[in-house]
Amino acid sequence: MAVIASVVSIGRPALSARIARAVLVLAALAVLGWLLVLPLLAIFTEAFHQGYAFYLDAIKQPDTIAAVRLTLTVAAIAVPLNLVFGLAAAWSMTHFEFRGKALLGALIDLPFSISPVIAGMMLILVYGKDGWLGSWLEAHGLQVIFAVPGLVLATVLVTLPFVARELIPLMQAQGSEQEEAALTLGANGWQIFFRVTLPRVRWALLYGVLLCNARAMGEFGAVYVVSGHLRGITNTLPLQVEQLYQENFSAAFAAASLLALLTVVTLGIKRVVEWRHGDALNVHH
Amino acid sequence: MGIEISRLRRQYGAFVALDDVSLTIGDGEFVAVLGPSGSGKTSLLRILAGLDQPDSGSVVRDGHDLLALDARRRGVGLVFQHYALFPHMTVAQNVAFGLRVRPWHVRPKASVIKANVEHLLRQVELEGFADRYPSQLSGGQRQRVAFARALAIEPRLLLLDEPFGALDAQVRVTLRSWLREFHRSLGITTLFVTHDQDEALEMADRVVVMNRGRIEQIGTPEQIYRQPATPFASRFIARGQSVPAQVHGQHLHLFGHAWRIENFAADDAHEIAVHVRPEDIALAPMGGDGLKAQLINLRHVGGIVRASLRVENRDEPLEAEWNERDWVRHSAAVDGVVNVHLQALTVFATDREGRVQARSTVHPPHASFPVAVGPWRRVEA
Repeated sequence: MAVIASVVSIGRPALSARIARAVLVLAALAVLGWLLVLPLLAIFTEAFHQGYAFYLDAIKQPDTIAAVRLTLTVAAIAVPLNLVFGLAAAWSMTHFEFRGKALLGALIDLPFSISPVIAGMMLILVYGKDGWLGSWLEAHGLQVIFAVPGLVLATVLVTLPFVARELIPLMQAQGSEQEEAALTLGANGWQIFFRVTLPRVRWALLYGVLLCNARAMGEFGAVYVVSGHLRGITNTLPLQVEQLYQENFSAAFAAASLLALLTVVTLGIKRVVEWRHGDALNVHH
Repeated sequence: MGIEISRLRRQYGAFVALDDVSLTIGDGEFVAVLGPSGSGKTSLLRILAGLDQPDSGSVVRDGHDLLALDARRRGVGLVFQHYALFPHMTVAQNVAFGLRVRPWHVRPKASVIKANVEHLLRQVELEGFADRYPSQLSGGQRQRVAFARALAIEPRLLLLDEPFGALDAQVRVTLRSWLREFHRSLGITTLFVTHDQDEALEMADRVVVMNRGRIEQIGTPEQIYRQPATPFASRFIARGQSVPAQVHGQHLHLFGHAWRIENFAADDAHEIAVHVRPEDIALAPMGGDGLKAQLINLRHVGGIVRASLRVENRDEPLEAEWNERDWVRHSAAVDGVVNVHLQALTVFATDREGRVQARSTVHPPHASFPVAVGPWRRVEA
């Protein structure tokens, strides 16, 4: 930080400027440390509080394993869905002129501004037992709410903007000349997509997918509303952590450490992508 | 046979990009479409490439409807101003793209593609660059890769959209002569869009002058320069400057002189415009019958002297261009005043819609007769 600052400024800055810089940097680090690093460390300390064996036992509990499996399943369905949706939405937002384009843009952003609890309740209103489609779904033997489909729907809804928002500015900046060039050279739609468009946005896409995945696995509010908290059946990992927290402190932290680990891994991959391919996603980061 | 474009119209909302555009391009011809931005030249090119459809009109190539063909089946090579190379592919992969995306039954063998690419890179003088990426090339090299890529599909029509627009001046001049030579050796029908007059006049067999979605004039560079058909073509290509003049009966009145105009029937004209080109404002002996002009600015550009002259009844200074040698020999500016002769004047009479009714070029014989000031008609200032 200090190195960058001294490279940027010309000559030796005045003493007051150096003090101001040091204070700002320290303040930022202190806030991050107290709010982020310390609690993260606390989770791991607490998880291993009663020893390594206890930690393994806590994680190996069937309910916790089921929760991990469910979380991975939901993410494995929701993330690809949002990948496809994000690509399609970003493509149409940047390559077509159509009525309601501004509306589509606003709708893509909606899940960012809406409270996840409300998102979950909206789903219950539509797909729940007394919801608009409830009786039709029941008649066909389909259960959405309090089952995996509901969890997937809630997760898809909440993580909808991540991929699209990552791609739209990049695609806008890139324009469509290369696609037009490919078209006049005789390429068909799939060839243009896979050989020209996709390679150009791949790092931004990966970045969006990572963010989407982190949120999909960590989502609590919307999933809480539609899950029904059936242990070992509809409890995702965040819900499991919350329930364990009411009963067994250390076991809760053991499960929480798994989620935290996921966050750290995502952050790590994200850093690597930014570091290696920063210029490929440089439009707004 | 060639390509027959007739009565194309394209409108975007209230903006008319192409208005009744008709043009015939001969086989192997090199045609430049010249116009300012917003004149419709790029719209025309995109329609020919199949990237846009006209609202009405037709394009026929060798008796077949070109508009009915999808862009990818038109056999049209398109070169963009900003190259539009694929940045994640090497030069060789870029050039091979058009061959590799062909359906398997018409796709050449890998060895054939490789040989083709090598041949094309030799043609654009980029042997040895096959494994580079576009980001490792200069602007001029990138544009030549774009040419090679467009030529790989053996197009029957080559469309160039301001191909030198993003390059610096020196590279541009070099590439101009390269492209002209290149076209001569290949003989592909080529349509070239530009806003640069020099580029169009220097390179093209024929120039199409466009303004506000309409074709103002089609002709060889020489024809357009010598006989601009409209005031716009005169201003844009021959650098014609309007001078305050009036037409009265069969006489042109200008700066207190009058000259006869032959065959100029424009009694019901809405507007009269009289243009003079910078090179037609010649230095004249002091004390003669020339027009007095105040010299307000003088620039020496190579062997040419460019001068800004203030004359009466014209707010903007007139731009004149003289030979350096003539200027030195003359060297007779007293208090910054010179005497000039207007050697050629082009007179346009236009109707209410701006259509040209009559056009004539007057070569004023020096020593004209002075005239009394008469009842002037409305003229273009």
